[in-house]
Amino acid sequence: MCLDRGLFSGYTAGPFYDEMFSSQGSARSHYARLLEKLGGMAPSQFEERRKLADLSFLLQGITFTVYSDGRGTERLFPFDLIPRILPQSEWAHIEAGLTQRVVALNLFLQDVYGKQQILKDRKIPSSLVYSCRHFRREMMGLEVPHGIYTHVCGIDLVRDSSTGEFYVLEDNVRTPSGISYVLENRLVMTRAFPEAFHEHEVLPVAHYPSELSRILRMLSPRGESESQIVLLTPGIHNSAYFEHSFLAQQMGIELVEGSDLIVDGVVVYMKTIYGLKRVDVIYRRVDDDFLDPLCFRSDSMLGVPGLMGAYRAGNVALANTPGNGVADDKAIYAFVPTLIKYYLGEDPVLRSVETYLCDRSDHLSHVLTNLPKLVVKSVGESGGYGMLMGPSAARAEIEAFRERIMSEPRNYIAQPIVPLSVVPSYDSAAQCMAGRHVDLRPYCLYDGQKVTIVPGGLTRVALQPGSLVVNSSQGGGSKDTWVLRGEC
Amino acid sequence: MLSRIADSLFWLARYTGRAEDTARILDVTFHTLLEQAQKRYGLRWDPILSMAGEETLFRQFYSEADAHNVFEFLAFNPNNPSSIMQCITKARENARKIRDRISREMWEDLNGLYFTLGTFDPKEETAAGPHRFCGRVIFGSHRFHGVTDATLPHDEGWEFLRVGWALERAEMTARLVDVQYRNLLALSSIGGTPDSHQWMAVLKSVGAYEAYHRQYHSPIDPARVAEMLILNSQHPRSIRFCVTEMQAGLRAISNTGPGSYANEAERLTGKVLEGLRYDRIDDILRGGLHGYLTGLIQMFNTIGEVIARTYFYYAAVA
Repeated sequence: MCLDRGLFSGYTAGPFYDEMFSSQGSARSHYARLLEKLGGMAPSQFEERRKLADLSFLLQGITFTVYSDGRGTERLFPFDLIPRILPQSEWAHIEAGLTQRVVALNLFLQDVYGKQQILKDRKIPSSLVYSCRHFRREMMGLEVPHGIYTHVCGIDLVRDSSTGEFYVLEDNVRTPSGISYVLENRLVMTRAFPEAFHEHEVLPVAHYPSELSRILRMLSPRGESESQIVLLTPGIHNSAYFEHSFLAQQMGIELVEGSDLIVDGVVVYMKTIYGLKRVDVIYRRVDDDFLDPLCFRSDSMLGVPGLMGAYRAGNVALANTPGNGVADDKAIYAFVPTLIKYYLGEDPVLRSVETYLCDRSDHLSHVLTNLPKLVVKSVGESGGYGMLMGPSAARAEIEAFRERIMSEPRNYIAQPIVPLSVVPSYDSAAQCMAGRHVDLRPYCLYDGQKVTIVPGGLTRVALQPGSLVVNSSQGGGSKDTWVLRGEC
Repeated sequence: MLSRIADSLFWLARYTGRAEDTARILDVTFHTLLEQAQKRYGLRWDPILSMAGEETLFRQFYSEADAHNVFEFLAFNPNNPSSIMQCITKARENARKIRDRISREMWEDLNGLYFTLGTFDPKEETAAGPHRFCGRVIFGSHRFHGVTDATLPHDEGWEFLRVGWALERAEMTARLVDVQYRNLLALSSIGGTPDSHQWMAVLKSVGAYEAYHRQYHSPIDPARVAEMLILNSQHPRSIRFCVTEMQAGLRAISNTGPGSYANEAERLTGKVLEGLRYDRIDDILRGGLHGYLTGLIQMFNTIGEVIARTYFYYAAVA
């Protein structure tokens, strides 16, 4: 391969699994044709394309808001032009693993909020479930429409450099975000870099909104023909607001804020210029806590008073179902292989990362003695908050975490650091390609019968040299993700 | 359509309209004053401030109402809620809230305008004079109208934009005529003679200069200028034209035919329009132009409030 010239001159794969290059330094077969195209490109040409892509994101207002500077500055979610490519055979394996996992998580939620057979059979400690911050006793014994809890899941995968295998890192079954970037990244990529698609058969992703809309319509208590569907957003200041409006527009449904809705006689209505209009299905992107001040947090201004009453009465459907947080709790995560075995009688297709539960005394002592080698996560958090990366943390930070873990062990888990795989990414400061760590979040839709996953998902990339944290709030970016038809 | 969305569309239109109006007045006044021996006539920038309704606020930040300060204040000052940049920022905020309901082209156009205007450096621009900046604002506003017209379905949402634009323009034209007329007449009463250039400036600021000549084939006459801007049925910035637009928009929203009204906003609009149709400029001048225009401005405020009560606010269900 021509690593001695053009964009890739001086590129070395380093000690990690490189998605583009094999350990011998030659391009993996599913990357070969792309590399040929890129290899002939001058850095200045590439830079031009990159600016074109950035401008496109800026004009469309695909930004997220950073509050730390007190002014609420809008920033671009950095986009890297080198796509992450998966051959279809590998994708098929991932798809099978995700499907199995989504079905098992849904069965678990049905069970936990229903007969609780798994607790009676002592496969999972009851204390772990009841002590979960996102367990909602308000959901006990409630029959949810079509038995679906996990309408939309985003499951984070990582490839471990030491084995080359994909692992599940965490489940997101509450209000996962990021799918809009999958769709927009693809669109921008086809505009900024059309020739990259030549000679490749990239599986399309654009059907996501119509599939989600089909599932939402199906949930309508008044039947599909009479279904008024809305997307409930916390509003313009939410960091995922772009996605909310994007999805509402793509699905042709109304984007509403809590104050646009009103409950009267256990029926939900929206306030229109011609009067009140009944609402049947709410795709809600507001957290459980803020959904209904009469049921959950009473100080919430984002929700709709009486919403849960209407939901219980079966007059409105919610997606995702409240109370799902018990299934993506990071301590419950350690038991997902058990759940799969228990509910489906199958071995997990995708493995989980070894996890230490700090409220188990044997695990706790291991964690406390090995803190500098581990990553510690707060069980109920998401988005990269409440995390300790042992190897890169300062001593004082480690000691602070030690205190926190000891005072609240149930709230923490620890895992060995997974050496994530890398994809060549453009380092604009150094003006060259460099390996940067990536993860992968595919989005799974579940209609109670079938799990639909758009091929690929969101590849997040840690753009800081050496960083393993891919969250956008922590300086991460993203890439277009290709699943190539028929490649092996 | 959600009440909140109608509200945002209405204000989206009003803020872009206000930005354009302010830019027009700034630009034209600046160039007229450059040409004129302004000291001789004692013409000043103050009237522009009272037109924008922000004279008191201005005095908190500046001691002298000169070209530099007035431009800075009306174009860029973040503490002035009606400054052009603030209007464009608020227009964009409103668009962002409803970006799923407006066309992608509209959003990208307005968002692009916001970023383009953000690249203008206030210091540099105030030194260079308002033409470059104001020209960009006016062009941007026109383009946004065009993009809206061509890409947004002409449904009730479009009607709310139409009403917002028309109401904003009607009010601004009324303020413009009122302030300029008072100013220029006061000048003659103290012995100055405002030549036709000031009146030309008034016409130019609403883009009606050429139209005036086509209409009247006569030299600039203050009474005719007032007639053109208040009673003309065809010029898109005359008050009568704007109120006609408002009526059409409001009727389309409530699906009401001619000869009747469905709500208070329509009743008041219809009443104002009847006056504008049958009043004569000589009678208006005789009865007092200032009183007439003040009455209209108050009426426009009331109509704005009534529209909000009818369509935007929602009393809790009892």
